[in-house]
Amino acid sequence: MSDQHVYARWLDWGTRISLAVLIAAFLAYVFGLAPAALPLAEMPRFWTLPLERYLALSGAPTGWGWLPMLDKGEYQNLVGVALLGLVTVVCYLRVLPLLLARRERLQAAIVAAQVLVLLLAASGLLAGGH
Amino acid sequence: MEAAALPWWIWPLALFAVTFLLGIVAVLAGVGGGVLFVPIVGGFFPFHLDFVRGAGLLLALSGALSAGPALLRGGLASLRLAMPLAVVGSITSIGGALLGLALPTSFVQTALGVTILAIAALMWQSKKSERPAGVRPDALGEALHMHGVYHDPASGRDVEWRVHRTTAAFFAFGGIGVLAGMFGLGAGWANVPVFNLLMGVPLKLSVGTSGFLLSVIDTSAAWIYINRGAVLPIIVAPSIIGVMLGAKIGARLLRVAPAATVRRIVIALLLVAGARALLKGLGWWN
Repeated sequence: MSDQHVYARWLDWGTRISLAVLIAAFLAYVFGLAPAALPLAEMPRFWTLPLERYLALSGAPTGWGWLPMLDKGEYQNLVGVALLGLVTVVCYLRVLPLLLARRERLQAAIVAAQVLVLLLAASGLLAGGH
Repeated sequence: MEAAALPWWIWPLALFAVTFLLGIVAVLAGVGGGVLFVPIVGGFFPFHLDFVRGAGLLLALSGALSAGPALLRGGLASLRLAMPLAVVGSITSIGGALLGLALPTSFVQTALGVTILAIAALMWQSKKSERPAGVRPDALGEALHMHGVYHDPASGRDVEWRVHRTTAAFFAFGGIGVLAGMFGLGAGWANVPVFNLLMGVPLKLSVGTSGFLLSVIDTSAAWIYINRGAVLPIIVAPSIIGVMLGAKIGARLLRVAPAATVRRIVIALLLVAGARALLKGLGWWN
């Protein structure tokens, strides 16, 4: 199987799982099955604010600070969002050994560089999150 | 009636309805949902532009990720073509996202308006080349293995392709990444002309590979918005669900919908939304 087909298979499943998690979490959040940190009825006060002011008033976390708050509905949604953001990394990591096995060193270096860029973006270091 | 006076659930419901329609139109017009979503929702919904851009990126990302497997399996997207360019685009999209979140909202809103109006003009003028002729492969493109053969199901033929002007393409995708990150737009409107007209890639492969490239570039920028806390599930989730359901309907209508009319509708939508963003940014229509 070519690296492109392997990538496609992993992408397919990764995206399906991510979207399923996001939709399930959203339905639980919006129908009140999961308690929200900020009541939904108060959201209109917050979603009009610039980001910095919203963060200051709501106490919402930045970076990966939402992970310890997974008992709250809105942060359960971020699991699906984060999975969407990780699908590409996983697919790239899956094809990397295939390229190395074929001694396609230049392509493998490109894939490795891309993974580093994506992980750097995801880490929160660039965005100032913690 | 003031937007704040309405019950909270009106807005996600309206967002779902609007993104459902955008999903239909986007598929019929062959554009990503993000380029319509950000100016329309940013201009006519009460959400702050910071959250709309974060949602726009995730919307475009979801669409690109969902379409990717079929395009890659069918050979209508090329990993070899996209991967080197994606590295540059994703680095600059991070810079664009950081810049967009650092600049004053009025400036970003104004620049968004100008960009959307320019995209409308680009779509109006758009030239395409089904199979560009006279491609003289350059050394960089050859070194990066940017060549191959894809099977065109419409004609039943195998089409051999190569690229040229690879260095210029790296710069172009660098610029596209900045715009994608700064404004939360998917960048299919720019990717396709660069692949097709600049690099000489056949049109169908350009469209397919653009979708794959977008999934990588938007992922990088989306992480900046996620980590900065600019992703509100109450905006993101109904938008993604709406646009993906709409895209399914759009795909069914593709055979019967008049392409030229749909294209005109999209251009009109972009003109209205771009003008709204521009006037809002300048403080002339709040």
